Amino acid sequence: MSLVRAERRRFFKRRLIKWLVVVGVVILGVIATAVFFDNQKVSAETLASAEAKAEAEYDFAMADFQRQLKACQEVPSGNVKPEYCQWVESGEQPQRDWYRAEYYMPSTFVFKGQFEEMIVVWAAIMAVIAFVIGASFVGAEWSTGSMSSLLTWRPKRMSVLGTKLAVLVGWLTTIAVVTGGLWTAALWATAVYRGSTAGMTPGTWQSLGLTGLRGLGLIVAIGVLGFALATLGRHTGVALGVALAVVVVGQVGLTILLLMLRVPYPEMYLIPTHLQAWMSKVVQVSNPFANPADCMGGQCVEQVKSITWQDTGSITLGAIVVLLVLAFWQMRRRDVS
Amino acid sequence: MTAVLEIQGLTKTYRARGGPRRALDGFEMYVEAGQVHGFLGPNGSGKTTTLRTLLGLIRPDSGDLRILGRPVPAELPQVIAHVGAIVESPQFFPHFSARDTLSLLADAGNLPQSRVDWALELVGLRDRAKERVKTYSLGMKQRLAVASALLKQPKLLILDEPANGLDPGGIREMRDMMATLSAGGMTVVLSSHILGEVQLICDSVTIISLGRRVAAGPVAEVLQAHSSGQVRVALETAADLSAAAQVLVAAGMQLQAHADHLMLTGVDKPALVARLLAERQLYVSELAPVHADLESVFLELTGTAPVPGQARQVDQSVKPDTAQDGVSA
Ligand SMILES: Nc1ncnc2c1ncn2[C@@H]1O[C@H](COP(=O)(O)OP(=O)(O)OP(=O)(O)O)[C@@H](O)[C@H]1O
Ligand SMILES: [Mg+2]
Repeated sequence: MSLVRAERRRFFKRRLIKWLVVVGVVILGVIATAVFFDNQKVSAETLASAEAKAEAEYDFAMADFQRQLKACQEVPSGNVKPEYCQWVESGEQPQRDWYRAEYYMPSTFVFKGQFEEMIVVWAAIMAVIAFVIGASFVGAEWSTGSMSSLLTWRPKRMSVLGTKLAVLVGWLTTIAVVTGGLWTAALWATAVYRGSTAGMTPGTWQSLGLTGLRGLGLIVAIGVLGFALATLGRHTGVALGVALAVVVVGQVGLTILLLMLRVPYPEMYLIPTHLQAWMSKVVQVSNPFANPADCMGGQCVEQVKSITWQDTGSITLGAIVVLLVLAFWQMRRRDVS
Repeated sequence: MTAVLEIQGLTKTYRARGGPRRALDGFEMYVEAGQVHGFLGPNGSGKTTTLRTLLGLIRPDSGDLRILGRPVPAELPQVIAHVGAIVESPQFFPHFSARDTLSLLADAGNLPQSRVDWALELVGLRDRAKERVKTYSLGMKQRLAVASALLKQPKLLILDEPANGLDPGGIREMRDMMATLSAGGMTVVLSSHILGEVQLICDSVTIISLGRRVAAGPVAEVLQAHSSGQVRVALETAADLSAAAQVLVAAGMQLQAHADHLMLTGVDKPALVARLLAERQLYVSELAPVHADLESVFLELTGTAPVPGQARQVDQSVKPDTAQDGVSA
């Protein structure tokens, strides 16, 4: 247990980690503030004035339409009609439904409808931070030589690395829960003062809670990924380099390759698709290279596949487990010199 | 006396870019309890490799290693609490203060935090302990390293070039500290290139060259066994020097004549010289075996004495055919 205590203390003695957490909180704070001021509460007056505005716009459009229709009908036959006449004369007159009151209202924050995507924002920001924290927590230990110092105190390398990993997961969970709590509170306040909290049934809360849990899972998983990569490379930079290579070169290159080879459902192989699947439970991908022969009788049915969060979750879990096994194995085998 | 450290047949081959590199080749070493043991060898001869292997940082190809009678690395976790070590200017986390660094190590080793101040005081870092290690001078970092090794109050202290970067005062303090520690029963293994220092503080030495032991034993014995057997002879009347030279050469001795003395080489019994000369009424005023110092013995044994006009490359040193050596432990 003494090692656990040492590692727990070490985590927050690290300047970079402290700063990353601060930066994360600041970014979330800025976004929350912007959302707060960008939204407004809907009062009876704003609603009434928006409805009046919509009505007026509809009336104006209708009058315009009638005027154009009349003009078109008055064109002597044989003369060339103005281009708009084709559209006007087809009888497509403006619909009342095209002019809804909400289009003329300042935006308002409806917790029930909008909080879910804000959970994704929180998870994405904190995941990036978790990656760097995870990588640096072990990578900087290696590159500065303080890992080899530690190993002359605790020669059981598996337990040293395992303790570090456990401490990392523990702190990342704590950080995620605290920031997630603050984020929820901030946006709840936004909904209360600048929107509405209507319709929040226990079922809605539960669904949002599950999305939050998946967000937490994402943050921890990405943090562990950074940890595994930095352990393998014995340097923080290796993890960052791999991440950059995968995201930039890998994804761009892979997209080009998939399109060139006309691989069916190319989006299935790209990371953003899976991030989306994980956070919003399911995502549809389509096949742009469907065989035209499948379009029977001129009726082309779009070929789609759905990717669920379970699919994405198991693939990611598998990848992380493989990397961790490699990391622990090489920690055990490789010389420290 | 019991051996605190035993190494037999230690072999280590690094897989390096230029092909495999055999850093240790049947190396052996014994250190008895309570001694200060000097571990000497030219650059790249395998000292650090040996010490890293002992500490479980490097996996040897083969060899028997024991610390305090326990086989390592198998039972290293059980003995590590008694082994304090610094290996070749150890690095610490640059943004932590000395106190934080030691405090984290004390936690990792389950030691009371009160040891931290004790160790800082001992190495003279008390007043600077709150500053970041990054801002320390070389010698201050080295002092911190020594403090980290002493923190455990170990039975065996392994110091790889601890004097690296220390000021003269620091070197002397280190010397006194080692004397005190060893008087208190601690065994110290000290790798160093400062041979004058080693000669002053070490009870015994092991000399390594290209991964093999070339000499080992108490300092006095190593010096005697490998001193060149030179004897300096001066006469009461300097005018008789050439006559004396003739006598000695006739007796089959090798010598060099100087203005006021003769320098004999390969003399086993200096008394014989006095007797030979006395028989011819030549009276010696000085008959002194010239004691080699550790430096010249080291240079001779490892074959690393500088040759004028030549730049010696690392790895140009003596490699004994087998692991035999002059003095057994
Ligand atoms: N990680 C490594 N990979 C490859 N070769 C290595 C490695 N570490 C050491 N060596 C080689 O092993 C040999 C012994 O090195 P070692 O560091 O043990 O020497 P040393 O006796 O400590 O030298 P110095 O007096 O310069 O500190 C050298 O030839 C060195 O090049
Ligand atoms: Mg060395």
